[in-house]
Amino acid sequence: MARASIEVRDLVVRYGGVVAVRGVTFTVGAGEHLTLLGPSGCGKTTTLRAIAGLEKPASGEIRIGGTPVFSSAPNVNVPAERRGLSMVFQSYAIWPHMSVFDNVAYGLRVRKRPEAEVAARVREALDLVQLGELESRSASKLSGGQQQRVALARAFVFSPSVLLFDEPLSNLDAKLRAEMRVELKELQRRLDITSVYVTHDLEEALAISDRIVVMRDGGIEQVGSPGEIYDRPRNTFVADFVGSANLIRGRRRPDLERNGLVVLETPGGALVHGIALGRQVGPEALVAVRTVRLRLERARPATAVNAWPARIRQRVFQGDFTQYHVDWDGRQLIVRSAASDPMTEGDEVFVSADPRHCVLLEE
Amino acid sequence: MIDFERARSWRPGPRLVSMLVGGATAVLVLYPIAYLVQASLSVGDPQARPPEAYGLDNFVGLGRYAHIFGNTLLVAALATVLAVVVGFAMGWILSRTNVPGRAAFEQLMALPYYVTPLMGALAWALLASPNSGFVNQVWRALGGEGHLVDINTPWGIAWVMALFEGSVAFVMIGAVMKSMDPAMEEASQVLGAGRVRTMLRITLPLVLPGVLGAAVFVFAEMLGSFSAALVLGLPARFYVVTTAMYQLVSQYPPRFPTAAAMGVSLFAVMFTMVWIYRRIVSSGTYVTITGKAFRPRVMDVGRLRWPFLGVCIAYLGVAVILPVLTITYASFQHLTTAFPRAGNFTLVNYQTALSLDAVRSALGNSLLLGLATASIGVLLMGFLSWLIYRSRLPGAGVIEYLLMFPQAVPRLVFAFGMLWAWLIFPIPIYGTLWLLLIVYLTVFLPLGFRTISGVILQIDRSLEECAQMCGATWGYRLRTVTMPLLKPGLIAAWLLLFIASVRELGASILLMGPKAKVITPAIVESWFSTSTELTAAMALLQTLAVVAALLLLFAVARRAVQAGGE
Repeated sequence: MARASIEVRDLVVRYGGVVAVRGVTFTVGAGEHLTLLGPSGCGKTTTLRAIAGLEKPASGEIRIGGTPVFSSAPNVNVPAERRGLSMVFQSYAIWPHMSVFDNVAYGLRVRKRPEAEVAARVREALDLVQLGELESRSASKLSGGQQQRVALARAFVFSPSVLLFDEPLSNLDAKLRAEMRVELKELQRRLDITSVYVTHDLEEALAISDRIVVMRDGGIEQVGSPGEIYDRPRNTFVADFVGSANLIRGRRRPDLERNGLVVLETPGGALVHGIALGRQVGPEALVAVRTVRLRLERARPATAVNAWPARIRQRVFQGDFTQYHVDWDGRQLIVRSAASDPMTEGDEVFVSADPRHCVLLEE
Repeated sequence: MIDFERARSWRPGPRLVSMLVGGATAVLVLYPIAYLVQASLSVGDPQARPPEAYGLDNFVGLGRYAHIFGNTLLVAALATVLAVVVGFAMGWILSRTNVPGRAAFEQLMALPYYVTPLMGALAWALLASPNSGFVNQVWRALGGEGHLVDINTPWGIAWVMALFEGSVAFVMIGAVMKSMDPAMEEASQVLGAGRVRTMLRITLPLVLPGVLGAAVFVFAEMLGSFSAALVLGLPARFYVVTTAMYQLVSQYPPRFPTAAAMGVSLFAVMFTMVWIYRRIVSSGTYVTITGKAFRPRVMDVGRLRWPFLGVCIAYLGVAVILPVLTITYASFQHLTTAFPRAGNFTLVNYQTALSLDAVRSALGNSLLLGLATASIGVLLMGFLSWLIYRSRLPGAGVIEYLLMFPQAVPRLVFAFGMLWAWLIFPIPIYGTLWLLLIVYLTVFLPLGFRTISGVILQIDRSLEECAQMCGATWGYRLRTVTMPLLKPGLIAAWLLLFIASVRELGASILLMGPKAKVITPAIVESWFSTSTELTAAMALLQTLAVVAALLLLFAVARRAVQAGGE
């Protein structure tokens, strides 16, 4: 199975007068699993469809395995059916007039493989998605999860060089989605194929990707590993979109900064130490700290910095964790805690955070 | 793995394709209209082609025909009110109450549409004409004086038209009632409003745009209707615009410019109505009615179920059962009277009808034209729908507008433009079936296009895109995915086009040549020039021929599918 790399350079896609993607550049290494993450309307699906060849970009270049499949100069536009890719659609796009077997066999029959090989490979693919016993069933009589699996098998059975996923799990209910996420990851690793995955679901992106591209308004906000995206958001958009974060604004105090840490003084006078990651900011700045990275204690912790007195305003029990709304420095912080010792509303407590988890933002 | 050689192969630019398609559609649709307008402005010798002089005299002269415009508005208004009342009542009963046999009635509600205004008019003429109508015969037999009912009046014409358009109004209003989220009414009740208050404050305002839309649509159709007004109005010298145009054109010497001016005026009014209809349908008030499917909440109306059942049966009775029975009865009579006698029954009408060459050839021509119109039409309109909804052509909206244009033109008016347009066409097709074929394909563009695009829009685009991602070329995709998915819609469109063509009157009556007659105008001719009973037999034969042709086609198609399936 050929694994192909993908290079996207200065990609611009327009719908009539609307610019859906404005000059996006990124690469996907051979065998890498890359995710385009962002809210609806951010251009992620459009970018994916441009790679697939279903959308004609206005300008830029797309190379697959080093060969241009689209370029505005010189003029190249390889039609989708000749790009050697495959795709799993959000709607699954299961053909209702065919059996499960015929759906999966489609790509092989298009390639005029001998029927014996078709049968063997379809069976193998269906076994891989655990649908072996359903091959003769009519595709219109499948549940959502089964349709999803058929769509998967159909997409990889003919050994494409790249697999594209357009929000493949968004139509499943939450429980099934969590299961499929794990299965999908395993399948991806087993097939060892380059993949580009589009989703608006953070957990999905974190779970299955080698690298994540966060998009907004047709542009790229940040590129990085799931860990980097989660722990070191570059700006308020990423910090906010990628899980819940508290944003703390303050005035820079260069006089107190040492050990490579940045220090902000909040309007209420609290000092917040954080990491700058080499980011350049003005005299006013923001740090982000994840709600799960804040700790609540009844006594003042022994740490030298980033421990502040606060008061519990509201407690919301959510099962896996408890969410506290805490009055701090004239505003509220949100803290998620899995601790078994619950605070009660009105308790005077201390909030603390490791400076490594307080990340300076570029805004 | 990737095939790059043909990547830069020549493909026609989308701009070129859309200009060609748009241009062809524009010629087909607008060419006759241009000639209609030209004729209406001709103020020289009325027979001269091209016109000797241009002016507005013909329109000024229409003042003499004010009563005809008044008649048209009167009939259309009466019929619209009646049709909307019928449509609203049936829509409400069948989608909102637990009347017995709801599902069956909903299917049966399509029948009045297939009876056609012509059949209805013939039947009701037999039933209720002032002298020989069955109802009046019975009335006099019971000792009544004169006549009880008179179908040869504006009321009579409106009655027949409303029975027919009632099913159209039902479809439109019923759809709105069904697509309304019952939660909106439930919310009102939960907040303490009673049933009546909920109906007045919530239900009515929500369905009002739909009802209004149906009313405007039906009114526009009525303005251009022809057959009922011809059959029922002519004996009483009661004319509406379409029948007056027909008279002006078929009399000697014909008065083309005056007829054209009438046609242009009618077209202007109808075009405005259709425009208003589109505005209502697309206006913001309509957003409460989403495309989402709800299980309509059925109201338990208790004992009222039985009167409601009576209303349903009564409508189908006067719109379908009574007309069909009347025509059937008359077709087996020597001389039709309201009181059957054993010696009066005969098969001679059928013998006559089938032995007349004129009838046989007209029926054959109609079936042939139906076959051709439906087959070519499905291909043409299928291609156009696909082009507009799938290929993302620039200017698709303009082409769609052109396609729907014939909807705003009465077929008779359209045919009038055709008459002028094709008379001077270098290839002599005037008076042949070819001209009728072109006319049918043009006037039925909206019908076929609507039916097919309805199905295309339901097919998710990703089904085709997925085939493309699997590596299938354009032709392969079309054969394995697009066509099989479209099949039900294409068959439905084929049937509709076939039936509509075989029964077409308004355009055919003006354009058929003496050597290429078609059946519906022949029926009308027979009504006015030969016997009632023979006409009834011809009308029934036409219906039977359509049914037989359809059954035959279904049998053939099924065998073909079975043979191809294994």
